[in-house]
Amino acid sequence: MTEAKITARNVDVFYGQKKAINDVSIDIDNGIVTAFIGPSGCGKSTFLRTLNRMNDTIAGARVDGQILLDGEDIYASTMDSVALRARVGMVFQKPNPFPKSIYENIAYGPRIHGLASAKSDMDRIVENALTKAGLWEEVKDRLTDAGTALSGGQQQRLCIARAIAVSPEVILMDEPCSALDPIATARIEELIDELKESFAIVIVTHSMQQAARVSQRTAFFHLGSMVEYGETDQIFTNPRETRTKDYITGRYG
Amino acid sequence: MILTGVLLAVLGLGLVGWFAARGRARLLYTGRGSMHSMPAYHGWHLALWIVVPALVAWLVWQAVMPGLVQGAVFATPAAHGLPTDPFQLGAIVAEAQTIASDPGAVAFNPEAQALVEPFRAAQVKFGLIGAVIVLIVAFAGGAFGFTRIRPNFKARTHVERLVLGVLLAASLLAILTTFGIVASLVFEAGMFFKDVSPIAFLTGTHWSPASTMGDNINNNFGAVPLFWGTIYIGAIIAMVVAIPLGLMSAIYLTQYATRDVRKWVKPLLEILAGIPTVVYGYFAALTVAPLIRDFAASLGMANPSTESALAAGLVMGVMIIPFVSSMADDALAAVPRAMSDGSLALGATRSETIKKVLLPAALPGIVAGVMLAISRAIGETMIVVMAAGAAANLSANPFASMTTVTYQIVQMLTGDQEFNSPKTLSAFALGLVLFIVTLILNIVALRVVKRFREAYE
Amino acid sequence: MSKSDWNSPEAVRRLAKRHAAEKRFKLVGLGAIVLSLGFLALLLVIMLKNGVAGLDWDFLSGSDSTDATTAGVWGAAKGSLLTMLVTLLLSFPMGVLAAIYLEEFAPKKKWIEWVEVSINNLAAVPSIIFGLLGLAVFINTFQMPRSSPLVGGLTLALMTMPVIVISGRNAIKAVPPSIREAAYGIGASKVQTTFHHVLPLALPGILTGTIIGMARALGETAPLLMIGMRAFVVTPPDSLTAPSSVLPMQIFLWSDEIDKAFVQNTSAAIIVLLVFLLAMNGIAIYLRNKFEVRW
Ligand SMILES: Nc1ncnc2c1ncn2[C@@H]1O[C@H](COP(=O)(O)OP(=O)(O)OP(=O)(O)O)[C@@H](O)[C@H]1O
Ligand SMILES: [Mg+2]
Repeated sequence: MTEAKITARNVDVFYGQKKAINDVSIDIDNGIVTAFIGPSGCGKSTFLRTLNRMNDTIAGARVDGQILLDGEDIYASTMDSVALRARVGMVFQKPNPFPKSIYENIAYGPRIHGLASAKSDMDRIVENALTKAGLWEEVKDRLTDAGTALSGGQQQRLCIARAIAVSPEVILMDEPCSALDPIATARIEELIDELKESFAIVIVTHSMQQAARVSQRTAFFHLGSMVEYGETDQIFTNPRETRTKDYITGRYG
Repeated sequence: MILTGVLLAVLGLGLVGWFAARGRARLLYTGRGSMHSMPAYHGWHLALWIVVPALVAWLVWQAVMPGLVQGAVFATPAAHGLPTDPFQLGAIVAEAQTIASDPGAVAFNPEAQALVEPFRAAQVKFGLIGAVIVLIVAFAGGAFGFTRIRPNFKARTHVERLVLGVLLAASLLAILTTFGIVASLVFEAGMFFKDVSPIAFLTGTHWSPASTMGDNINNNFGAVPLFWGTIYIGAIIAMVVAIPLGLMSAIYLTQYATRDVRKWVKPLLEILAGIPTVVYGYFAALTVAPLIRDFAASLGMANPSTESALAAGLVMGVMIIPFVSSMADDALAAVPRAMSDGSLALGATRSETIKKVLLPAALPGIVAGVMLAISRAIGETMIVVMAAGAAANLSANPFASMTTVTYQIVQMLTGDQEFNSPKTLSAFALGLVLFIVTLILNIVALRVVKRFREAYE
Repeated sequence: MSKSDWNSPEAVRRLAKRHAAEKRFKLVGLGAIVLSLGFLALLLVIMLKNGVAGLDWDFLSGSDSTDATTAGVWGAAKGSLLTMLVTLLLSFPMGVLAAIYLEEFAPKKKWIEWVEVSINNLAAVPSIIFGLLGLAVFINTFQMPRSSPLVGGLTLALMTMPVIVISGRNAIKAVPPSIREAAYGIGASKVQTTFHHVLPLALPGILTGTIIGMARALGETAPLLMIGMRAFVVTPPDSLTAPSSVLPMQIFLWSDEIDKAFVQNTSAAIIVLLVFLLAMNGIAIYLRNKFEVRW
């Protein structure tokens, strides 16, 4: 087995005095989908956001422990959070397209990072990203329309395309389907399955079925700790911990 | 004198009535559900029946009494032989009246002195009559109210209906004020436009209302230089100062400053908005204007004036900073956090996020804020009165003295004024223009702000 | 792009440039604040430097005079007090009652919208327009005494009322519906609920707004110029109808004097006015912090 893409060791996260994550260690591999599950408020989002230092943007948030991306400490002073976030992209719970055109939504990231030198490069990046996100056919004739004018599911795929456009290595998704209807959800799940060929994907979800459908590994969080981590099949069919079993059988939520 | 006492007596009666009615209602109260309203409401009901009609009677009497008194005085022998010229007569009566109510005063006019005693007598007599009438009304109202105290009487409903009426009346005062402004401006400006053509006023470029030269008065009331001065100082120079400083302050405070810094700096900035404009005006005239004049001289300008558009505009801009900053603050805060999160998660820096995502998203709110700021700047008076000058110049030179609409309104209405001369009335015409322009700016801006808030809710 | 691309010299240079731009932008923001506050400091220091020597008892207890050394500020201050008294007595009850009506009782009708537009707009109408209204209505039509605290107070009350209505509505709006429901639940009528439960909870907010509105009125000059409140008052006014001046007007009149000696008087009067205003705003902030309830 090759070295893990992301290695977290003894991670604690504090919001002011309050400890939200307690001593979490986990290895996340390339080429598969890793799911985080657990009851509301257990710290899934918090932990996810430590992986691309989005917690830096919250006043009073502090991270202890070590997180390595390809063996590099992402909290080291030499690590540039701007470059890091280009390598570790993120998709949010609610679709949040910028109030700009569809084209500009995708082009925004490549432009700030200087990934395209000519207009034709940019056009190609945009087309590529939209194609990978399975949105190209639907929007290719109206790239100048506002991104906010799309349907909820399309908006979320736009946000995924936006993340893809800067060629990240990892994509973090925080409940990407919770604001969508079942059909749009199915589209996104298909998409995630295709994307895992090119990216390491971490997804937070409240839906047990979704975790079972799209992920190969699952981590169960409870009260800020990671209770169990393993192959998704094993977690759902034969959990080692009783707390995990109680949760996936719906004994508590 | 007597009537003031009566007023107190009526209020006292009201109080007595309150207790009496409550006591009576309590006697009727036989237990839960036996009465519609609590006894205290019967108290209020009766007190209102005593006080309100009596108060109305009192006011009516206050209005008619002077006429009655004067009639009575003219009927006395002392009033024979008074001059018939209404102007002289008025002066004498007024003087007598003053002495009658102020024992210390001495008559200047013997005819007035003769009238003092009849005046006092008549005042006492009609005062007494009025007092009796008011008291009778109070008692009548009270008696009527008292008979209505019954278990099933809906005292609370009646009292609450009156309360609602008072609340409604208070809200209508706002409409009344607006109406008053429009009516008085339109009326007085209408008189002005009888003498001066509106076209000449709105398009003429020569403003010298004091001059009597030339036979066509239209040529002296061309207000374009005033409009230009107002726009140049309030909407251009002041905004060049206020928009960048206010916007950048808001950005720093909302996006970069720690909570502690924000907590201290924000109120400090707001102090700038709380300083009276007369203080800014004095500061502009005392400190800023001489600096600017010296600067202009060092640029090689001949005879720069102390009063300059730049001095007034700069200081006005500073005054507007907190206004722009707090509007921008609101607009930025209304943009959902998800928006900036989305940009930061792509690896944009904060400033890139602000410039490319936050500001465009907040733009409608910021533009509306700037419109309100302009509306405030062009209506600002004291700074321009003290620092801008009286010369109606149609120039783009910021070091030139320039005048504004508000300056000219003040100019036309202070000092010696001839009542209803075109010069005086022109102030109302200028006021009307100012009111219409600010009204449009305010209404459009408030609309935009409302739309903008709803867009992100 | 792979990991190594982010370490290429070109990418590193680009990142450095972006971070430099970030730093510059932040500095500009800081600069804007420093500049604004620097201007405030400059203004205060100059006024203090010019005026503090003039602040003695004679100045604080005297009235206006043609001689700068004997001129004092009490006459104008008393005019301000009388004027503010009239303003407060009118605008506070009217403003609060209107706020209650609009927030709690007003039907959703077209004309109510007109009232709301009217109030929001009045709060932004230039103050000098209120002066024109006062002149046309109170003085020219009702023949009230020119230059008196009564007319000044009335004019400023019309100007202040919208401010009180707006802040009052916000304070009332902030009282959560659960309080009202609780009161209805035990059988209180709407009027009882409003006056017994909602109003007391909203009062600190209303008072804060009122103080801020009054502070603004206290500093106003332009509308009072319109109604001729620029009397040369050698003795303090002793009634609401006596000719009088107010503090900001006194500042304006002195600032116009040719005699250089009046510079000290003007600055000293400004200090007095600013102390009043700071005290009022301080009280407002204290009230807000002390009674602010987060629902
Ligand atoms: N910005 C913040 N400041 C302070 N505390 C926070 C903040 N964000 C989250 N928390 C706290 O940290 C804990 C974990 O929150 P987190 O959002 O990570 O939970 P979650 O597992 O994602 O829940 P959900 O499934 O509801 O999204 C919670 O107790 C929450 O209250
Ligand atoms: Mg979450």
